[in-house]
Amino acid sequence: MAIATGCQDKLDIVPNQSLSPEKALSTEGDLVGALIGAYDGLQSASLYGGDIQLVADMWANRYYLRFRGTFNGLLQIASITTTSNVILTDNAWARDTWADAYETINTCNVVLDNLELSEGVIRPTASVEGEALFIRGSLYFELARLYGRTWGDGNNNTNLAVPLVLTPTPFQIDGLNESDYPSRNTVAEVYAQAKSDLQAAVTLLPETNQHYATKWAALAQLSRIALMQGDYATALDAANQVIESNRYSLTEPFNNLWFNYINFGGVAPLEYIFYIKITNQDGTNGLNTYYGGTISSIPGTAGRRDLTPETSWVNLHETGDVRRTYFNTSSGRRLTNKHLDRFGHVPVIRLAEMYLTRAEANFRLGSNVGDEPLNDVNRIRTRVNLPNLDIADLDLDAILKERFLELAYEGHLLHDIKRTRGTTAGSNNTNGPAWDSPRLIFPVPQRETDVNKNLVQNEGY
Amino acid sequence: MKRSLLVLVAWMICLSSFAQERVISGKITSTEDGSPVPGVNVLVKGTTIGTASDGNGSYSISLPEGGTTLIFSFIGFKTTEVTVGSRSIVDVAIESDATQLSEVVVTGYGSQLKQDLTGNIAKVSGADIQNAPVSSFEQALQGRAAGVYVNSQSGKLGQAISVRVRGNSSISASNQPLYVLDGVPLTTASQSNYGGATNPLIDLNPNDIESIEVLKDAAAGAIYGSRAANGVVLITTKKGKSGRTSINFNYQTGFSESTKRVPFLNSEQYAELLYEGAKYIDDDNGTPYDDEFSETVYVTDWMQYFSYDQWQANPTKTYEWQDVVFQKGSYQQADLQFSGGNENTKFYLSGQYLKQGGIMIGNNLDRLTARLNIENKATDWLTIGLNMNFARTLNRRLPDDNAFSNPLQSVALMPMTPSIDPNTGLPAGTPPGDVNIPMYYNPQITVDYAKYTAESFRNFSNAFATFKLMPGLIFQTELGLDLLTQNEESYFQSQTKRNQTRATRGLGSNRGTFIVNYNTNNYFNYTKRFGKSDLGVTLGMQFQESTSKYNFVEGMDFPSDSYQKIASAATISGGSSSETNYAFLSYFLRANYKFSDKYLFSASGRVDGSSRFGVNNRYGFFPAASAGWIMSEEGFLKSIDVLSFLKLRTSYGIVGNSEIGNFPQLGLFTGGSSYAGIGGQSPSQIGNPDLKWETSKQLDIGVDFGFFGNRLTGEIDYYTRTSEDLLLNVNIPASTGFRSVVKNLGSIENKGFELVLNSQNTVGDLKWSTSFNIATNRGKILDIQGQVIEGGVGGLNRAMEGENLGVFFTVEYAGVNPDNGDAQFYKNTKNADGTIDRTIVGNADYNQAQRVVVGDPNPKFIGGITNTFSYKGFDFSFLFSGVFGNDVSVYGMGQYSMANMIYEDNQTADQMNRWQNPGDITNVPQARYYYGNGNQRSSRFIVDGSFVRLRNVNFGYTFSKDMLKAIKLQSARLYVSGQNLLTFTKDYPLWDPEVNADSFDSNISKGNDFYTPPQPRTILFGVNIGF
Repeated sequence: MAIATGCQDKLDIVPNQSLSPEKALSTEGDLVGALIGAYDGLQSASLYGGDIQLVADMWANRYYLRFRGTFNGLLQIASITTTSNVILTDNAWARDTWADAYETINTCNVVLDNLELSEGVIRPTASVEGEALFIRGSLYFELARLYGRTWGDGNNNTNLAVPLVLTPTPFQIDGLNESDYPSRNTVAEVYAQAKSDLQAAVTLLPETNQHYATKWAALAQLSRIALMQGDYATALDAANQVIESNRYSLTEPFNNLWFNYINFGGVAPLEYIFYIKITNQDGTNGLNTYYGGTISSIPGTAGRRDLTPETSWVNLHETGDVRRTYFNTSSGRRLTNKHLDRFGHVPVIRLAEMYLTRAEANFRLGSNVGDEPLNDVNRIRTRVNLPNLDIADLDLDAILKERFLELAYEGHLLHDIKRTRGTTAGSNNTNGPAWDSPRLIFPVPQRETDVNKNLVQNEGY
Repeated sequence: MKRSLLVLVAWMICLSSFAQERVISGKITSTEDGSPVPGVNVLVKGTTIGTASDGNGSYSISLPEGGTTLIFSFIGFKTTEVTVGSRSIVDVAIESDATQLSEVVVTGYGSQLKQDLTGNIAKVSGADIQNAPVSSFEQALQGRAAGVYVNSQSGKLGQAISVRVRGNSSISASNQPLYVLDGVPLTTASQSNYGGATNPLIDLNPNDIESIEVLKDAAAGAIYGSRAANGVVLITTKKGKSGRTSINFNYQTGFSESTKRVPFLNSEQYAELLYEGAKYIDDDNGTPYDDEFSETVYVTDWMQYFSYDQWQANPTKTYEWQDVVFQKGSYQQADLQFSGGNENTKFYLSGQYLKQGGIMIGNNLDRLTARLNIENKATDWLTIGLNMNFARTLNRRLPDDNAFSNPLQSVALMPMTPSIDPNTGLPAGTPPGDVNIPMYYNPQITVDYAKYTAESFRNFSNAFATFKLMPGLIFQTELGLDLLTQNEESYFQSQTKRNQTRATRGLGSNRGTFIVNYNTNNYFNYTKRFGKSDLGVTLGMQFQESTSKYNFVEGMDFPSDSYQKIASAATISGGSSSETNYAFLSYFLRANYKFSDKYLFSASGRVDGSSRFGVNNRYGFFPAASAGWIMSEEGFLKSIDVLSFLKLRTSYGIVGNSEIGNFPQLGLFTGGSSYAGIGGQSPSQIGNPDLKWETSKQLDIGVDFGFFGNRLTGEIDYYTRTSEDLLLNVNIPASTGFRSVVKNLGSIENKGFELVLNSQNTVGDLKWSTSFNIATNRGKILDIQGQVIEGGVGGLNRAMEGENLGVFFTVEYAGVNPDNGDAQFYKNTKNADGTIDRTIVGNADYNQAQRVVVGDPNPKFIGGITNTFSYKGFDFSFLFSGVFGNDVSVYGMGQYSMANMIYEDNQTADQMNRWQNPGDITNVPQARYYYGNGNQRSSRFIVDGSFVRLRNVNFGYTFSKDMLKAIKLQSARLYVSGQNLLTFTKDYPLWDPEVNADSFDSNISKGNDFYTPPQPRTILFGVNIGF
């Protein structure tokens, strides 16, 4: 029995791979570690790792982009029509993007709540704060677009988006309270929060920051928000600032934008303003997962071959357009070359978008800030071996078409259709649901409505 | 070191007592024919001093002072008590008898006669499962222990087995029983990092087992406190028997094959269905069938392409993929056992080699075990001993069920795709051939060009010392060790790159697992008879600590596939090391009291402290009490001749479940969130300092009876168990950044009946005995505060209040609309008046249909019946086991392959019954290519999982002693045995209803079939020779 007494303190065992919050947040290194954790969250396949972009392409594009995969959650998105909504409230994509976004937002909130740990030695304090705000603001913007009605579709002040959570969640169970069961904030509120986070990030972030967020990335993100809001002046100003920073250049030839790992050993092209960095040890390129496929002649390619661009899409390109032939074939399925590289980075924002945004905004406003719209569009055309447009041919449709073709498979089409009040492409060259259809919005995940009675479900679910 | 010194000190304390002893010897024969009976247990009544008769039926035993009576017991014979008196030679003739009432049952830190038990303990003798054609002993328990539900889950070798004692007591914590081997709680958690969970108990040689006792109720289990809520399985290994060393050699070999093949479409049928689906879409779109963008043209190209352009030339040619991935498995097992010793030292030494080839290609298992159990009576007052087992198990693993490389997933491949690429002669899809054929990855490539092996080295050891402090009082101290070392090694050659996308230039990994689990038991046992009272007291403590360390390294970019060790990898693409620990400190006390050999009382309690519990709840107390009344000893029943034994017993107690993970109570950050080569951390868990064990309160009422001189014996039990303070991952809004918190919340109830009957139908030359058991269990979740907890394929399994754990919750399928071929569903919404709206809605309005409970993966009844015959030298036995009233979800596979050709996956043959024309009455909707029509989650995919299985058959011939004398053998037996020879189901559509897909397995996720390999049907031929 004497043995017993010596054993009692043996019951005090703590984990080895995990730390208590007090221990985990006690130095500047810990704070930066948490910031890296937020980037890791942003890298999730369900966020900028691919799904945010993927679902926007699939929703918009049935006639041009055929889904031939077997994941039911994606099949649902691919199968909506003008007459039926087959997206279920327990759709795994709706569920995971929501949950992973908030997990990452909580990590950002932890960073923002512990800035006093920063000594500015490992990383400037302003950068730490700016990066956390960049990630949080970007995610709130994406959540608002995916789960709420389009900006300006009805009343932004009553349309619901997602709950705004701006403080870290307590680490002890008794710290949870009513505020952890939030209602959805309005579209206007969530956009405002995203903008304010990103505006603050612009002032805090450095101009260069390896593969992390920079001032320019925050400005580029702001230009997107402004574009969604139809605030062309702000979009123009932000895009122009990014271009005039001269930090970025259009990558020549077009092919060098892609195959970052296979051809460039993982060096990102100068055109990428913000991207999710994939290495052979860390991260999954979610666009590769669904758009990619194994091409025997290109070692290092992989993917499920689930999304195949239809001939109708190819035919939208003018003859001679490099992008018209920028496809490969894997067992009878056409695949875009953009996402074949198993370890290629996931582009989030690249310079071409800024030129096209500047062109569109200048055109709409009748201005020539930075450059004439014609020149900006022709910059994009020249790179893909297309002749310059004449000024007589330049209209809004030409700019938008160039935008569609250039940024295809990068998650733009749905949002461009929504903000331009267009219509998605249904099957067989019929119209799909129009920009304001509730079917083009994710349901609030059933998991969330089950557990939080304060959440109101979206129309049509 | 400090601890072992303390143990020594504890030993020293005990040096004070010496006892007078004398040696009794004799010969044991059978009353029937006077032949010597070997292996009879001889016990000095009221003590734990025992021996066994040797090959000649002779025994010798030391009778301590105060010992007056010897008890002779052996399975199949009536237990006989003989008063020694002043004799030194006691010869006995024992009478054949099948009754088990007088067996000694191991109870945990002690043992008891079965007739004196007040708790419910199911005993399975090692002899019953000897040489069963299974690699793990739990499989041999199927159908043999009432209320113990064993589901092998998959036909892959060495995979995890689900064992449930009296239902499910928990939603989030483990539902598996605690396994204790010779006093040491074992490491039983899967250590697999590939292809589903494995079963660490496979390192134990079933032929080394003397007996298995399953402690089922709280009275039996409370001595294991917070670890007993799911029952406790006590495994006792064989001991040496003094006398001439007996040498026994056994060899068995045979083959195994799949219990079933499932019919799939042939090429013609496949094309017919695919065209039908494509044409439906073309019609819908208004596209002419011959339009170059029509689906019809697309599927034509598709079939031509995936048949290596051979289909159009030969449209009837069908390739049966099941022939490619199923194989005839092999089985070889050799055992050598030595048992012997003298009065002071006894030993049991065994070795076994087992080599098993699976019924799926690429799966085999190779096990070598050795055991030495030795004990020595050092002095009159001290016995010391060591049980030690070494095992090396090498398992070439298969991928998990949900992997394209799972061989059985090849059934989804098109029937016109040849398994061999006609251009290269290699398996289809192997470079340099077109890697994109077949339609999905060809699992054969992984078998041919990759390997994943798990090699474990296991050491179970237990050193013990028994001190006789004074008559009736012993002190037992034990130091046990369960050491598990495992190395998992894999290499994927570049040929597998379509599946292992990072294997472009080879991908290798190496994982190490090191688990040190040590345990010490120190306890006193005191037995004393005062007048008509018998008292037994056990008091002791136990400390257990387990440390698990893991490491991992992965490399890619090898110079060639001939270099397969990480040393040759150009890129180290992954690496990790981790560690986790837990400890238990426990004190226990048990008192058994018997008055006048009629009235039995028992009480026990245990205090458990564990590192797993929150700081506010570190220690728990688990008491139990029970009583029994042997009515047949009462005068008023003694006159009833047919009734030979009758006992009423009841017990009530509280036990706990502490298998709640190692650190659920802490708020945590986890450091694994690196990004692009820089380490990061992120919040991972919300803490709960009040967290504690789950509590189960169990009532058991039972009757034990014997009729006709105990030729018919049996037990009837009724139990209710309410498990409270369930450890629950309570969902919280994801907007907190977390998905759940761990709380003690909610309750679950299990109630059931158990009936056991053992009868000796005939005696004499032809002996026929029957052993029968059946059990019911009704589980019900009483309260989880409205939580919705989903699991299983497609989230169909669910924990919900008022229902059994893991029920299938989905939309109810209403068949096919005869007018248009639409799949239909019942709305099942609630009307304003509370009734259920049974309106049928079509495919497009699937969302309007409400989900309801449509099935339950838990059986309502389980049972088994064993018949054993012997006639002269022949013996024959067979065991049927059955599982009734459970459902299986085939949705996982059904959504692709039983879904009227929604995709290009090949379909089960029954899909030919699809709707084609208005007026067709069928249950299979119209084929619509890439357009959901009945592939949605629904009860269409929930099927009856009941089955009865001829689990085991044994037929043998034992040569008579006379015949063997000439060749100087002690014994010889030839036999044939079979496992799973017949299976009867209620039209189960896939391979095997004894199933649970390994990729999804959890407490909630049961009864899922997802291309899961079936159980093997095994036939073995064996020879057993005693020297």
